Amino acid sequence: MGEPLQKRTHLDPGSSMQLPERKRGLASEIWKHRKEYLAISPFYILFAIFGLFPIVFSMYLSFHKWDGIGEMTFNGLNNYQFMVTDPEFWKAVGNTLLIWVYSTIPMLFFALIVAFLLNATFVRFRTFFRIGYFLPNVTSLVAVAIVFSTLFSNNYGLLNYLFSLFGISPVEWLNKTWGIQLAVSMMVIWRWVGYNAIIYLAGLQSIPTVLYEAAKIDGASGVQSFFRITIPNLRPIILFTVITSTIGGMQIFTESQVLVGNDGGVSGGGLTIVLYLYREAFVNNYFGYGSAVGWGMFILIALFSIFNWRMVQGGGAKDE
Amino acid sequence: MAKFRVMFTCLLLVVLMVSGCSSGSSSNDKMKTLTLWYWNRSLDDKLINLIQTQFPGIRINAQKIGGDFKSKLKTTLAAGSGGPDIVAFNDWVTELFPSSDRFYDMYDLGAKDVENDYLDWKWQLGVTPEGKMIALPIDTGPTALFYRADLFEQAGLPSAPEEVHKLMGTWDDYFAGGKKLQDALGNKVKFTDNIGNIYTQINAQSDKIYFDKNENFIGEDPSSSMKTAWDLAVKASQMGLLANASTFSSEWNAAANNGRIASFVGAVWCKEILMQSAPDTAGKWRVARAPGGDGNNGGSFLAIMKTSQHPQEAFDVIKWVQNPENQVTSFKDINLFPSAKKALDSDVMQQKEDFFGGQATGEIFTESARHVKPSYFGTKYANLNGIVGRELSSVAIEGKNPEKAWNDALARVKKELLR
Repeated sequence: MGEPLQKRTHLDPGSSMQLPERKRGLASEIWKHRKEYLAISPFYILFAIFGLFPIVFSMYLSFHKWDGIGEMTFNGLNNYQFMVTDPEFWKAVGNTLLIWVYSTIPMLFFALIVAFLLNATFVRFRTFFRIGYFLPNVTSLVAVAIVFSTLFSNNYGLLNYLFSLFGISPVEWLNKTWGIQLAVSMMVIWRWVGYNAIIYLAGLQSIPTVLYEAAKIDGASGVQSFFRITIPNLRPIILFTVITSTIGGMQIFTESQVLVGNDGGVSGGGLTIVLYLYREAFVNNYFGYGSAVGWGMFILIALFSIFNWRMVQGGGAKDE
Repeated sequence: MAKFRVMFTCLLLVVLMVSGCSSGSSSNDKMKTLTLWYWNRSLDDKLINLIQTQFPGIRINAQKIGGDFKSKLKTTLAAGSGGPDIVAFNDWVTELFPSSDRFYDMYDLGAKDVENDYLDWKWQLGVTPEGKMIALPIDTGPTALFYRADLFEQAGLPSAPEEVHKLMGTWDDYFAGGKKLQDALGNKVKFTDNIGNIYTQINAQSDKIYFDKNENFIGEDPSSSMKTAWDLAVKASQMGLLANASTFSSEWNAAANNGRIASFVGAVWCKEILMQSAPDTAGKWRVARAPGGDGNNGGSFLAIMKTSQHPQEAFDVIKWVQNPENQVTSFKDINLFPSAKKALDSDVMQQKEDFFGGQATGEIFTESARHVKPSYFGTKYANLNGIVGRELSSVAIEGKNPEKAWNDALARVKKELLR
């Protein structure tokens, strides 16, 4: 008991007299544990080089005009001003939100169903299905986008071929804003249902079976126990998947780029925020502006995550 | 023991870092090593292997840079060191003009002596407005009209290249022919591929597009081809001549192979793409001089970085690799269409091709290459082309009002110029 107390007084920030001594104390603490610090240093060193530095540098860059080679010139808030007054940026934000809504809601819904089925006792070969549902997630995104582009191709796509069998006139999917957004959303759904289902499955398995048994004894139906036991117990897991899919959904890029190119296709229906960032920075050579868009996106994602958290968590607060 | 392990780990880390940074220095001091960056099929690999025998004192370290070549080059330029001696440029050469001090002016290394060997318009593309010659020509992409002779014949149009060119010498006549073809063949066939390609090709035939040599925007000047190209592209769309298949998309490939596209204007390198994407139409295609004149799409260059220790040697190597005889070799090996005048006169240009029904398309493309007008593209060419292209596709596919689209495009262009 005596030693920690002594330590606290030692590090008391109020006594300025002890400042040099405190510094020496911290340094000697570090020196005393140098082996431990050395052991954990690789992560921090690598993070500082490949994570922290680019983040700080992009902040610096976002106040500059830079074509990637020549001189950087400071231009204050011009990049941010251009961003908020550029209709294409807001179109990209709108597209991203639409694609996020089109993809996330069905995706999480299907994932819950898949997880529920995988957890059910009557399903056989469960491991096989678990692997099967997870496989899309580890498939190369570019390959997926190419396959989907042949599915949704305007005149010669597989979907239009199926339509023609039933006498339905072909739809020029990739020549329409909603068609492009549908195709991108389908890709996201296909790829992420399995991943989220596995997370839900883990959540389902952590719910104690006694709750279900007690409910059964009390005469609850399957549907009732799903909504009264499964959903409330899964709430933290659902919150987690909503936030991760928000972060992922805001960063959709490859799907659009491979499907409809750097401009996001006809009238920019597939122009997402990251695609816009990529185009401005790496195609049009406005690296400072690209960094500003990156920070704009950071703010949007942060706001959105808080909003989601409030939404999902808000319902839960009542129960406690 | 524990101390030893820690020491050992640290040592290992240091060794790894140092070895990662060093660039494989050679022990032989007499040999001069030249590093070359290029991308797949931008240079003939067989020729690169011959450099060593041609220049006994030079060791060539040729690196094929995959992925996004331009980004990697820019990263290297931004870093200021660690770059190659010789580097290949694509048609984005003008984007590097503001950084021309990062490359050797080849006029100082003897480029004047070989200037007359090359097509003037191509040579000028590598010369900055201040008169520095930073990029020496590799290949060119002269344009011509690719068309389906069988479909033209069915529609009662002439099918021999000379006659086709006589009838469709201007874009207006070309569109009129297209109307006739579509009327005769019904709705299954579209005359050409997409609105963006017409716009791009008309500009490629012009000597004044978006910028003058002082980087002033001239798009609204009557001498510029911007508005003419826009109006003609819109006209083709309004006449219903477009398949709306974006160039070289899977859609385009399928349409070409299924005979849904009857013609398009494209560069010489479209031949290979067409052969691969439309094998079912072999023997049915022909090539004629393009409506509206001759133009160029793409084509690459070689430059010497300022960081190079051996600029003179680098220039001698470039000069040799791109001399007329070696350009003929490159054409034979990997179809790089020459930029040297003498290479255009070579017999290989007269070779008949089965895919084009026995026509020697080289005759058309060499003529086209000789008549391209010199043009200055400007550092923001690609940005502006992107803006206009987006508005054009809205017109063609979504039926946006052309007048409004033009005004939107112009407003957006002006905003872009102020950035």
